[in-house]
Amino acid sequence: MQDFLELAVSAAASGCVYGLIALAYLLMIRPTGIINFAVGEWAMVGAFGGYLLLSEFEWPYPLGMAAVLVFMLMVGWLTERIAVRPLVERGAPLLAPILALLGMLVVFREAISVSFPPDPHPVPYALGIQRQSFFIIAVTSVVFIGVWLFFERTVAGKSFEAVAIHRRAAALMGINLSRVTALSFAGGAGAAGLAGLLVSPNVSAHYLMGVPLAIQGFTALVIGGVGRVEGALLGGLLLAFAEQLTVRYAPIPAGYAQGVPLLLLMLFLLLRPTGLLRAK
Amino acid sequence: MSPLLRWLGAALLLAGAAFFLSDYHNDVYRKLLLWVTLALSYNFLFGICGQIAFSHFAFYGIGAYSVVIFLFQFHLPFPLAILLGIALCILFALAVAIPSTRLEGFYLALATLALAQLFIVVLNEGGAVTGGPGGLANYKLPEFLGTRVRGPWYTAVIVLLLLGTLAVLWRLDRSWFGRACRAVRDNPEVAAAMGVDVARTKVIAFTLTSALAGIAGMVYAFVDNTVNPPIFGLDNAFLLLFMVIVGGAGRHAGAIIGAALLFLLPFVLSPLIGHHHVLVFGVLVVAAILLQPRGLVGLYDALRRHP
Repeated sequence: MQDFLELAVSAAASGCVYGLIALAYLLMIRPTGIINFAVGEWAMVGAFGGYLLLSEFEWPYPLGMAAVLVFMLMVGWLTERIAVRPLVERGAPLLAPILALLGMLVVFREAISVSFPPDPHPVPYALGIQRQSFFIIAVTSVVFIGVWLFFERTVAGKSFEAVAIHRRAAALMGINLSRVTALSFAGGAGAAGLAGLLVSPNVSAHYLMGVPLAIQGFTALVIGGVGRVEGALLGGLLLAFAEQLTVRYAPIPAGYAQGVPLLLLMLFLLLRPTGLLRAK
Repeated sequence: MSPLLRWLGAALLLAGAAFFLSDYHNDVYRKLLLWVTLALSYNFLFGICGQIAFSHFAFYGIGAYSVVIFLFQFHLPFPLAILLGIALCILFALAVAIPSTRLEGFYLALATLALAQLFIVVLNEGGAVTGGPGGLANYKLPEFLGTRVRGPWYTAVIVLLLLGTLAVLWRLDRSWFGRACRAVRDNPEVAAAMGVDVARTKVIAFTLTSALAGIAGMVYAFVDNTVNPPIFGLDNAFLLLFMVIVGGAGRHAGAIIGAALLFLLPFVLSPLIGHHHVLVFGVLVVAAILLQPRGLVGLYDALRRHP
């Protein structure tokens, strides 16, 4: 029982990280339709921000965390400015910004790999190693409650939803489309950067950590459904439990357990592409 | 000059060059030819049919691994191993394409991303059959009809592969099927209204180009005489996409120029900036999409129109 409880806590914590990455995808995909695979690299940048501020400069944790969050919001906003807005304004097809963001993915990754030596960089725990899982769960809950309240209770949040439902009509209602897009990218980078910062004490900041996170977060999004904020968290938790339960109990070699999220992703794409929760 | 003579001339020129190169340069030349071949078939899928897939390099790997496994683990005869390898590629391609093209949007990109990752997991965990993380090595191209092709003659085989791939894609592009693919890329609704079966066109284009990638993989298997998981990872899948974008998506010339440029660039750049040429690729891709979406071929067209 003790064993199972430990497993449940650690699965819930990694599920929260996947959920945050899925939330980052969702924030951008809902109003714009753009799948931004660079979220994994954003998480990596967030982790390196944590390494730099908390390990190198030894800032107090809350201050370092806030600084990383602010920095990531700016990174997201800047990414939108460079790689998305010029294309949207020109009326390029939706594929163009997606490809430009794939290019940005490589730029982020290589910029970090140029700036830091290739070995893993340690990031300190927030409240000690035993309490990291609970810290991750707490921070993720705060983020999800905040985002949920933003979408459900504020006019700005409603304007996001309006853009998601019908871009043109929303623009005619006086909603500033480019501001919504910029905010969604800033928010996406913020969520992804937090995920990277939270997961980095366990895995260490490394410039190749992005792509696996991007795939796991995407799987979580597909499981939960792109329509609702709760779906991202639900998908992340389901994915993490499926992963950890197979590693612990299934009679297959440990390496094959890596294939579980990929198989889940393909199964969901085939059988239930709208995800578990439908849009309201 | 008749078209047939032109193809023959190209074959003689490209293959003849191999006989004047040293062993090292022959190796570089073979890989360049293989990248161009892959870029050509990927260009048909991505540039002409408008589908983003990350599985093209995985199919290259499936082709390479399957021919080696069939030949040296199961000891099947050479022609049978090749046919089975192609069948395997077609089977996998259909299994991915049929479900994911039923859906709107970019589901093919995601399903193929998962497939590409799953392929690497299977290679690493395959034990004795796939050789695990170390892959398979120490095998040789079997004798066929009493001869063993080697040295520059093998480069000539790759030239034939490249020209064969180009010929197939060229003919397809100019047939009703190529026009159907372009219509599906530009506007699926209009294509459907014109009587094009959108889903079937996508599935056929994906399966065909994946099979072409698999055949190129089989040829690759005997270039280095080793196959291992890192070769077929996601990085190269991205590189392939970047080659087509930088060269100019939707044009055969674009695929050739992009593949040649991005393959040869590291050789020029590494003395200057070491291993950071990938950063340059990323910047090139973003710049190409922002400034010249038609790629280098589009740039050439624009320069010719307004000198």
